[in-house]
Amino acid sequence: MNLKNNNFNENVVNVDVLVIGGGSAGTMAALAARRQGLDVALVDKAGIDRSGCGAAGNDHFLAVLDTGPDWDTNEAFMTWYHRLTQGLVDMNIPPKVYLSRIKNLLKYLEELGVPMREDTENDAYIRTGSFGQPGEYFINFDGRNLKPTISKEAKKIGVKFFRRINIVDLLVNETGVIGAVGFDIRKGDFYVFLAKATIVATGNVTRFYNNQASMPYNSWHSPYNNGGAQAMAFRAGAEIKNMEFVNYTLTPVNFSASALNAIVGMGGYIVNGLGERFLFKYHEKGEKGPRWIMPWGVYWELKEGRGPCYFDLRHLSEEDLNHLINNLLPVDKNTFLDYCEQKGVDVRNDLMEVQISEGQLPAFLGSVSGINITPECETTIPGLFAGGACTVAVGSLSGSMCVGDTAGEEAAKYVLSGGGGRLEISPETVQGMKQSIFKHLANMDGLKPCELEEKLRQVMTLYVGIGRSKMGLEAAQAELNKLGNLLITAKTENLHELMRLFEFRDLLEVSKAVVRGALEREESRFGISHYRGDFPESRKEWHCSLHQKLEKGQIILKRVEPYNL
Amino acid sequence: MAILIDEKLCNGCGLCDVNCPGDLIFMDEGTQKPKVLYPEECWYCGACRMDCPKDCIKIVFPLTSL
Repeated sequence: MNLKNNNFNENVVNVDVLVIGGGSAGTMAALAARRQGLDVALVDKAGIDRSGCGAAGNDHFLAVLDTGPDWDTNEAFMTWYHRLTQGLVDMNIPPKVYLSRIKNLLKYLEELGVPMREDTENDAYIRTGSFGQPGEYFINFDGRNLKPTISKEAKKIGVKFFRRINIVDLLVNETGVIGAVGFDIRKGDFYVFLAKATIVATGNVTRFYNNQASMPYNSWHSPYNNGGAQAMAFRAGAEIKNMEFVNYTLTPVNFSASALNAIVGMGGYIVNGLGERFLFKYHEKGEKGPRWIMPWGVYWELKEGRGPCYFDLRHLSEEDLNHLINNLLPVDKNTFLDYCEQKGVDVRNDLMEVQISEGQLPAFLGSVSGINITPECETTIPGLFAGGACTVAVGSLSGSMCVGDTAGEEAAKYVLSGGGGRLEISPETVQGMKQSIFKHLANMDGLKPCELEEKLRQVMTLYVGIGRSKMGLEAAQAELNKLGNLLITAKTENLHELMRLFEFRDLLEVSKAVVRGALEREESRFGISHYRGDFPESRKEWHCSLHQKLEKGQIILKRVEPYNL
Repeated sequence: MAILIDEKLCNGCGLCDVNCPGDLIFMDEGTQKPKVLYPEECWYCGACRMDCPKDCIKIVFPLTSL
């Protein structure tokens, strides 16, 4: 195949609902829209069967079940969630997108055969609590086959799968969003999707901060989630919010695997180099406090010379250790025990050293950054909906699935009630978009995507990482603008690299929004998420959300008061 | 490194290529066996080996990640 001649096939696909992102949220959205009898396309740059953060599994399923105790009620959940998010999430959203559907989702997954009851003797759920929850909201479950299971269902009821199509941009005309364009990452074919409603659901944003082991793809959440939804929505004019709050967690040293929820949920300790459980210095709940408190505490322990820090599981009962080692750690991260074995760590008897992960944007419970949506999952642009971890709603796997479900249902309602713009776009516009994608295969000079991406991580880590200041953030802005210029002439050798280049483009877009937000927000909040050394305290006048949108090439900022219960 | 596939055991079904969320594994048209073209872009998620009918994939962590 000659990649230089731009002579790729063109495919135009007309559907009622287009879902961009085939992870857990996107698949739920596609299922929900298809159930209304609509023609639905589900598009992902990977294979869909195992796409997204849940590709290889998940072990915690957030659920409020009304089983009796006070904490297991919608009211208690709302009180806790409001406190956790400090009012920066619209509190009208969780009842509509999550609480009203979580029990049905659980029932649905059990009917499909997803093993949710780990207490097999009593055919009961095992539930644990963490991150400041008032009770035990996390069902421990075996989610290794969750993603292939729901993918199969979507296929079965007639969702049209478009695998290995990398969506590059939304199609916008004066009536709103009318679809998207992308290319086949193996064959090069160019795709134009025209849809009455478009749902973006590409998850969180990773790979824009240095990884401690210098392996950028060794990330906490999927390294193939690059902010496509946030960047495309923003370019199309939609509002995004609170982008300055970059999230960190604790992971095993040099291996950015999920583990923290399982470990603190089971009662594991976090200790410093002196053997002290130090987190109580930073939060009254210690290891049971919100997630952000843990990297915050570790940051200061390391800085003040009391490192390294460790997970300490040695006090756990045999039964709890078995549950952790057999049912949680290798379910959440399939390769967790391979790491332990190859490193030579015995989780039962040894301390396990931890590190602060690379920064990333949301995905977990309590994050407040992403695409601004209504309780109906509408963005601020007609025809564009959003679901899952790219939105500011309810995070975690089950939260994202519920939000995806809502987006699909509401997009279908929109289409069935006659919604949808005029599905027309000029051939010149489409050809221009095609040209701007494939020209990089013909570029002879210029930098490669991996070179640009390395520089991006360097800039973000240096100036927009832990500890920020006005001067540093302005330096970052200048560097990111230079990268924007270098992007125009970037060269790619093949379609895989072309995909990576457009991932970089979205990462750059998101990074700029992070910097802009961080520069504007003259205060500190959520620990190391946004710590301005020149404004080290949380400030009352900044107890608000910061929205950003693009209008005629200019960024418009808006402060929005916090929500009350 | 990263993803080691035992070619002798492999039946060439291609599931690892389909399942890899990172577009790292490609079926070789000649040998009809999978090849890991971008090991440095591996997430270490294990999706490639989970459905492998021959259980012939081993995940090897590079030294810096240990």
